[in-house]
Amino acid sequence: MGTFVQQVFNGLTVGGIYALIALGYTMVYGVMRLINFAHGDLCILGAFIGLTLLSGAAGSGHPGVALLLLAFVLAIAVVAAAGVLLEFVAYRPLRRADRLAAVVSALGASVLIENGIMIVWGPNVHVFPSGLLPETVWHVAGAAITFVQVLIILASVVLMAALYVFVHHTKFGTAIRAAAIDQDTARLMGINVNRVIVTVFVVGPALGAIGGLFVGVYYREAYFTMGWVYGLYAFIAAILGGIGNIPGAMLGGVLLGLFNAFAAGYISSSWQDAITFALLIGILLVRPTGLLGERVAEKV
Amino acid sequence: MTVPPARGILAYRNEAIGALLWALGLALPAVLDSSWVAVAAIFAIYAITALSEDVILGRGGMFDMGHAVYFGIGAYVTAILNTEFGWPIFATLPFAILAAAAVGALLAAPLIRLRGDYLLVATIGFNAIFVLAMQNNLAGITGGSDGLTGLDVPVLFGLPLESQSAMFWLDWVALGIVMVLMRNLDRCEFGRTLRYLKQDELAATTLGVDARAAKTLAFAVGAGLAGLAGTLFAVQLSTVSPTSFVFTESVTLFAIVIVGGKGSVPGVLLGTALMFVVPQFFRQFATYRYFAFGFAMIAVMVLRPQGLWPRRIQNE
Repeated sequence: MGTFVQQVFNGLTVGGIYALIALGYTMVYGVMRLINFAHGDLCILGAFIGLTLLSGAAGSGHPGVALLLLAFVLAIAVVAAAGVLLEFVAYRPLRRADRLAAVVSALGASVLIENGIMIVWGPNVHVFPSGLLPETVWHVAGAAITFVQVLIILASVVLMAALYVFVHHTKFGTAIRAAAIDQDTARLMGINVNRVIVTVFVVGPALGAIGGLFVGVYYREAYFTMGWVYGLYAFIAAILGGIGNIPGAMLGGVLLGLFNAFAAGYISSSWQDAITFALLIGILLVRPTGLLGERVAEKV
Repeated sequence: MTVPPARGILAYRNEAIGALLWALGLALPAVLDSSWVAVAAIFAIYAITALSEDVILGRGGMFDMGHAVYFGIGAYVTAILNTEFGWPIFATLPFAILAAAAVGALLAAPLIRLRGDYLLVATIGFNAIFVLAMQNNLAGITGGSDGLTGLDVPVLFGLPLESQSAMFWLDWVALGIVMVLMRNLDRCEFGRTLRYLKQDELAATTLGVDARAAKTLAFAVGAGLAGLAGTLFAVQLSTVSPTSFVFTESVTLFAIVIVGGKGSVPGVLLGTALMFVVPQFFRQFATYRYFAFGFAMIAVMVLRPQGLWPRRIQNE
């Protein structure tokens, strides 16, 4: 029983992180039909920016919570700017080109950002400073739940609810959904599709930066290839929920987090990735449009 | 069926230039030192692998981002049969090709009905599963993370191919054969079927083309050729380990085809040279090498989305 509750909380924490990162994939795919392979690396860029600020200020006597907030704001700002720049340089010129050209451009962007991180921060694993957050541990039904876990779960829920309201209950959110269904018609209806795409490249990377910084704070480490690891998982989460579908990415992230936690806890951690990918392939075979169905208009 | 127009000697100009360059390449060991001959040999092996990826991605139009799996299966079949069962290298070759082709067809058959991006994701999944299976020493014969070492020197008609030059010639001849196969693929019925399917699958099906069979066959052919390259790779390195077949290798192969030009033999060879040989010149700049590599991938795509040396549009 203790293990079960423990794995549920571990899974929800990781699932919340996956979901935050998955939203960036799914929003970009929904509007542009592009797998933004560089998204995972952008998120980890957020973790490194936060890390630099936190290690620089560690032991300076400033309160941890204020520092952490500042780290998040800075990471969000830099990563969102990088996302907009990426779209402008690498994706915008290829909007009307063969889709595979954009895929390779995205792969190139991923290599570029990953190695840019390596050049700036070096190839070693960096450790996040300790003592920034309360080390409180709650014992519930035989499981130990840390303050960081509760913080990540709560923050993910609040952010996802805010995004849901933004996309489904504001005028601009309606424009995003319209552009996702049919860009040309949306344009005819007076929607500025370029602005929608820029917004998607601000919101997606901003949420991703939060997810990436959570990865660093939760696992207390950051290394330059981490973008691929978490990016791929988050991307699987987006597919599980149905790509282009925002609630689907949230559901997919949480389910994948829980699935991973239980696979690692009960089966075998050395086969964990293989089991996850087997699940993905199985779902693609049985239900190719994901659990909640994709919200992508079929391109003919 | 129309009778193809008579082809003058000029129509074979590209073939003649290709054959001439290939023949000149045979002399490389005379002008390069041994370490660069090894680079040339590995270029030939990766060129075969990239051409085999082109059968699936460029000609078949199927987004295969797990091609290193088939390359790896060829290498592992040769390594296992040679080191564990003592088979001579050349006896393992047909099994390496068949095993890779069979796995390609089996994995692809249920998945080819998926739309492009989903196929891409599923093949990424296969790649991850393959590497983990090799690392976790599947069935106790893959040697785990260290892989398998100590492969025999290949013996051809009683002649051991011991020197790096001899191995280079072996790889170069294999590349020549694959280039001829790719040229013929353009003109045979199967090649035309794939082109038709790519242009308009619905129209092709109404004319009686079995799309599923043709696509599965394309996967089998591409995977089989990658298996051939895998055997050559195992021989060249005399060791096989999971790190040679990770997902990033698949990404590189995918990018080679798109950067070079889909369905274009010279394009894919140029892509292999740029993505594989050029980085060898910049070894001392290891830190900045991949940064520049990523930048170059974006730059090529933005400036030439059709690839560096795209396939000519033929009126056929």
